Amino acid sequence: MMRLILGLSLLAAPALAEEPTIPRFEDVTTRAGIDSVFWGEWEYMVGGGVAVFDCDGNRKPDMVLAGGTAAAKFYRNTSALGGALSFAETTSGLEMEAVTGAYPLDIDSDGMMDVVLLRVGENQLMRGLGDCRFEAANADWGFDGGDGWSTAFAATWEDGQSWPTLAIGNYVDRNEPMMPWGSCTENWLHRPGETQFGAPIPLTPSYCALSMLFTDWNRSGTPSLRVSNDREYYKGGQEQLWRIEAGSAPELYGPEDGWQRLRIWGMGIAGHDLNSDGYPEYFLTSMADNKLQVLSNIPEGGAPLPVYADLAYARGVTAHRPYTGGEIKPSTAWHAQFEDVNNDALADLFVAKGNVWEMPDFALLDPNNLLLQRADGTFLEAGEVAGVASLLTARGAALADFNLDGLMDLVVVNRHANAQLWQNVSEDAGNWLAVSPQQPGSNRDAIGGWIEVRTGDLTQRREVTSGGGHVSGVMGFSHFGLDDAQDAEIRVLWPDGAEGDWQPAEAGGFYSLGRDVPLARWVPDAN
Amino acid sequence: MARLRLVAVTLVLAVAAAHPAQAVAQRLDAQDVLVGWNQLILELVRHTPTYSPPVASRAFAYLGVTAYETVASGDDSLVTLAGQLNDLDPLPTRARHMAYDEAILLHAAMSFGANAFFGNTGPTGQRAMDAMDSRTATMLAEEVDPEIVARSMALGTAIGEHILQWSLNDGGAIIENLGFPYDFETVEDPALWVPTSRVAVQQAPLLPGWGHNRPFAMPENNSCALPPPPTFSEVPGSAFYVEAMEVHDAVVNLTDEQEAIARFWSDDPMLSPTPPGHWIFLTLDALESKDADLVETADVLARLGVVLADAFIGCWEAKYQYNLVRPVTYLNRLVDPAWQPILITPPFPEYPSGHSTQSGAAAGMLEAHFGENFAFSDRTHQDDGLAVRHYSGFWEAAEEAAVSRLYGGIHFRSAIEQGLEQGICIAGFTNALITRSRS
Repeated sequence: MMRLILGLSLLAAPALAEEPTIPRFEDVTTRAGIDSVFWGEWEYMVGGGVAVFDCDGNRKPDMVLAGGTAAAKFYRNTSALGGALSFAETTSGLEMEAVTGAYPLDIDSDGMMDVVLLRVGENQLMRGLGDCRFEAANADWGFDGGDGWSTAFAATWEDGQSWPTLAIGNYVDRNEPMMPWGSCTENWLHRPGETQFGAPIPLTPSYCALSMLFTDWNRSGTPSLRVSNDREYYKGGQEQLWRIEAGSAPELYGPEDGWQRLRIWGMGIAGHDLNSDGYPEYFLTSMADNKLQVLSNIPEGGAPLPVYADLAYARGVTAHRPYTGGEIKPSTAWHAQFEDVNNDALADLFVAKGNVWEMPDFALLDPNNLLLQRADGTFLEAGEVAGVASLLTARGAALADFNLDGLMDLVVVNRHANAQLWQNVSEDAGNWLAVSPQQPGSNRDAIGGWIEVRTGDLTQRREVTSGGGHVSGVMGFSHFGLDDAQDAEIRVLWPDGAEGDWQPAEAGGFYSLGRDVPLARWVPDAN
Repeated sequence: MARLRLVAVTLVLAVAAAHPAQAVAQRLDAQDVLVGWNQLILELVRHTPTYSPPVASRAFAYLGVTAYETVASGDDSLVTLAGQLNDLDPLPTRARHMAYDEAILLHAAMSFGANAFFGNTGPTGQRAMDAMDSRTATMLAEEVDPEIVARSMALGTAIGEHILQWSLNDGGAIIENLGFPYDFETVEDPALWVPTSRVAVQQAPLLPGWGHNRPFAMPENNSCALPPPPTFSEVPGSAFYVEAMEVHDAVVNLTDEQEAIARFWSDDPMLSPTPPGHWIFLTLDALESKDADLVETADVLARLGVVLADAFIGCWEAKYQYNLVRPVTYLNRLVDPAWQPILITPPFPEYPSGHSTQSGAAAGMLEAHFGENFAFSDRTHQDDGLAVRHYSGFWEAAEEAAVSRLYGGIHFRSAIEQGLEQGICIAGFTNALITRSRS
């Protein structure tokens, strides 16, 4: 694959490995018909998410964007296969006000995607009815939406359950104007009961969560709940890891388990197995320096302790200040997501940036980051040259292949400014494939499972999750760059621990992978 | 104690917002206003990103003097600090034979000062200041002659403005990049400070020019200069090596009580009211416990702010004179690459210990006021889940704060002991201020 050598001004500090291919993104917001602003004052200074998922059966991702005090907007994907991105705003039932964020999740496992709307006020589970129609389902599903300021979400299927367990993170007491510090409200764990969700279990202590992620950090087979908390508001708080065992009360990991206290302005979590050791690394967004946590001291037999080294500085992903736009004050980071945007078989990192609210000690013109991974594990900042260095006030975001051309596109929600949509129009990206595990019965999308793609000596792994980022989520095909490889092998490690067989696949294909059935290539409709 | 008063203030303000008629019966007095604003300022210090400990000490000094001069403008028992503090000119005075409302006047001055010094705080701090400002002002104005309200607001604002103008050319008014220089080159010398964290913005030391700021009561920045630390040496058995090993062993053999002490006085910026805020907090409690009146409260807070600010100027002047390496750097290189302090090593040179200097200074000033055996309880970190600690006097607390840095693994003993000595010296200048009229 052709490699571009960047000018010195674009090189990150730890440079000098072979430079990655620079992807090219084109801002197609207006042309594609996106016109959505995340509005609101104090109660909407955080949040502003987007949920990306297919709801009309063509497997092209549609999306709903939070509007804050304005109604959320749903956009049906009308893009032609491999063509220009195009969306049509349509009425879906998701057009609620006071929405801070959204996540897609097939809650009732009926094959039609449902949507979780996080709100200032009552959270809403929206049941998918097909053809991108939704209806409120709190009452039918026994879901207590509460009356909080909800700012984080994650979901998992606990052992033996046919319905998911939902974790919802809440922010400060919005009714406390004088002394909101220390007023973090309770996070909730909604576990399923016999036929409906049970009463929410308080996940206390709660420390103003802005991101949550169920993730099998130690590959025990049972995901734990990572919670990233905003130190601006908690007292005595820190980042958290909850042990969530089926049938047992949630239990925090503590110093006796090896958990080390970390206190940041936690705003977003992105997980990915960057070093192919089988264990996910975590990027945590914050203000000024961000963190890249890598599990330390993995014993030969597994069962590591939750002890992480911060390698953000060494890998060149502190992303602590703007690299363009004329400001050098510290940055403010929100959504983070690992995706391979140039298909070189190395996961890259997108970080949405934006000042909280006219905080003069932090950059007001704060460009998003697009950090391209090099072969040596360091990253190259390419936001500007790739075309995504927006100086608007970003919050939530999602990378997804909207036109099914094998290139990851990008949508970003901005506070008090129009959302932005970028089409990945790279011409020199590598090969790719996309995989969607599907299992019968409950948890159809295999959340909690792992997808593995093997090319030569390299095995890429992606955990199938619901949650994380900053109030934004994607459900659908998982994307793998293959670099020059023409074919690969795929398998799924299913949520119950069953290991699927390795199955051959060709580059450039979309694959549905079921349990104990041959790999099925899905060919998109040309229209 | 002070927290009880704060809760009362907050409740009254909440009632005032909802039921103005009821609030009149519970009108705040000037003492409530002063304590209420100080409690909010402690939160603003914690939640304003530029507020590292030196910057916090500066705000406490200027805001303390603001309140003091406001009270002194109408109380003959207090002597103005104009002419006593460096470059402080005479302040606006009250019009003769005209009535003022003490609470409104003080509120106006503190509101102006808080907004001036915390204008860069985040949206929640701005919202809190707005709420405190509007609710307090509305409540205080109830049943007060509008002319008195206007006159009091004008004078309070004028005093606040006078203090603000005094502050602007002291060298500490502008903080960029959270106090870290944009460019910094380390010197290849094992005795000298190098960055100790992998945080990108902390690859330069914090506020290297702070020691050049104009002091308040100290005549010069180096009026309390220190002898040098032990001569740097890597030779086992040398004085420097012995001190380093003391830090190493202290962390390795830390008792539960020592760890509790280290964490209690950790006072990390953005996660606490900072070390100077810690002393403001416990002093508010001490004042409340002895039922101090407005005059005493204003007097003590002003002098405490001044001595803390001078302590950071004197300490920083010495820190960058000696630019000494931190224990973690020395020990990782020479003794144990895996050794780690239990506290976060602050991003600036080691000698002397800032917490020791400012705690020594604070205790020196407070003992002069309260006496040597004023027992008190320190609840500063109760909201963060740390247990209340009890002291028989301020010096005991200062010594504990100082040695906490050794337990925490971030300071050598010389920095602690000389820091306390420097603090005592600095307190001498504040204690020489005349605040009470002899008549």
